[in-house]
Amino acid sequence: MREVSVIGAGMVRFAKQPDRTLAEIAWPAVKQAIDDSGVDKRNIEAAWCGTALGGMMSGQRVLKAIGLTGLPIVNVENACSSSSSAFREAWVAVAAGLYDIALVIGVEKLTRFGGGTLPLETEDFEVAHGMVMPALYGMRAKRYMHDYGLTGEQLAGVAVKAHEHGALNEDAQYRNRITVEEVMAARPIADPFTLLHCCPSGDGAAALVIAADTVAARHTAKPVRVRASELASGRYMTGFRDMTTPEITVRGAAEAYEMAGLGPEDIDVAEVHDAFTIAELLYYEALGFCARGDAAGLLEDGETSLGGRIPVNPSGGLLSKGHPVGATGAAQMVEIVRQLRGACGARQVEGAKVGLTHCTGGGISGFDHGACSIHIFSN
Amino acid sequence: MAETAHAEPPLIAGEAVRIGDDGRPTLIGSECADCAARVFPPVALCPECMGEDIRPLALGRSGRLYSYSTVHVAPRGWTVPYVAGYVDLPEGVRVFTHVVDADDHRLSMEMEVELTIAVLGSDGGGRALSSYAFRPRGMEEADA
Repeated sequence: MREVSVIGAGMVRFAKQPDRTLAEIAWPAVKQAIDDSGVDKRNIEAAWCGTALGGMMSGQRVLKAIGLTGLPIVNVENACSSSSSAFREAWVAVAAGLYDIALVIGVEKLTRFGGGTLPLETEDFEVAHGMVMPALYGMRAKRYMHDYGLTGEQLAGVAVKAHEHGALNEDAQYRNRITVEEVMAARPIADPFTLLHCCPSGDGAAALVIAADTVAARHTAKPVRVRASELASGRYMTGFRDMTTPEITVRGAAEAYEMAGLGPEDIDVAEVHDAFTIAELLYYEALGFCARGDAAGLLEDGETSLGGRIPVNPSGGLLSKGHPVGATGAAQMVEIVRQLRGACGARQVEGAKVGLTHCTGGGISGFDHGACSIHIFSN
Repeated sequence: MAETAHAEPPLIAGEAVRIGDDGRPTLIGSECADCAARVFPPVALCPECMGEDIRPLALGRSGRLYSYSTVHVAPRGWTVPYVAGYVDLPEGVRVFTHVVDADDHRLSMEMEVELTIAVLGSDGGGRALSSYAFRPRGMEEADA
């Protein structure tokens, strides 16, 4: 396998954009990534487009807008992990030597569904019986609170930290700072979550250009090396499972660290899948940033805030930056690429050399999650 | 076969729930005759060994509440708020369920719950949507 680097990154601010088509939402991000890479678009050999609910031929619809057609375009659906899975497939193809330069797109337009909870697959037995994502995470939260003594105020602190970071990110959907009291007093969604415990619905896109290292050096002095590209599906279990630890992330993290030859202590900055406040705490533990049961302490000590030992979600995360489902994985990578280039301004993690992205989702019964993709990058 | 006394037959659980002659519900899972794997809801193929010799498995009517959450925002049709929960049954299967006859504050982790039938919402035509649900065990006695 060849070494692969990211040479271009772009994204549009996440926001509700009901009047724009999927292609209109996405093309500015794609153009930004290509311009950033310095690559002539005609040298891009293949493209992967991740979207969960964008509909048929999303990649083609986006790429015709910028006149990049005729090449292989693959549309990838893996729920919240759609564009991180798309990145993984592009990485496989470039690392294997099939292509030298490839494009990854993540895009979603959730406003087409109106408001409310994310539409899930109704053929699923639990979904047909009223399972919604906030309830699934809510049950994880309630059990974690029971098992480890986590308080509602501590849980609200995750959202407060997310908005502190998001306020510094011009690509974030919500840039307002909030207090624990405001989180606790917001309208209830699924116990113990109020609205501010939940990522917002919205639209957005992000894109990356990747290249084999031999080619990357021709285009940029600051390639960001892909140290690990990992993808797992959840393990289907018919019996009891411990909902306070996400097995798919624990397993995926072990694989990613092994591939990179690195451990959690080597990570300088991480973007993790904080779809709901509890998720970020579960992932601190699953990714090895702290021991089981210690997540609230890590947060309260400021270790995961900017300036801390391992800043998590400097972009604002899903809670503040937003979560247009299929765009999220690529957007996390855009943030890490910018962090490793030292280009994040007020939210820059000083001296960041190694960054991790973690993107997981898919609400189907019998699984922790349907998919999880973890990537590790270094500068 | 005797008429069941049940006025509101379950509409959404299909083969996963059976109403007895006494009107009481039983959840039906599957057991693999080859590897003894137990699954809920019922399946035609064993997800452990791919065996096709699958037998219906009547599940116990009570279990323990593993976790729960009061849901305030849900797709159209469900009566909100409702309590979503997971119940662990003695056969080793976990069942997603609505928890009825108790508000959130009366529930606790690992509490004993029992099977019932409840109206959970309505369909587009305004007809009641009912299915299996669990409620705290001995609730009626406690209320008396």
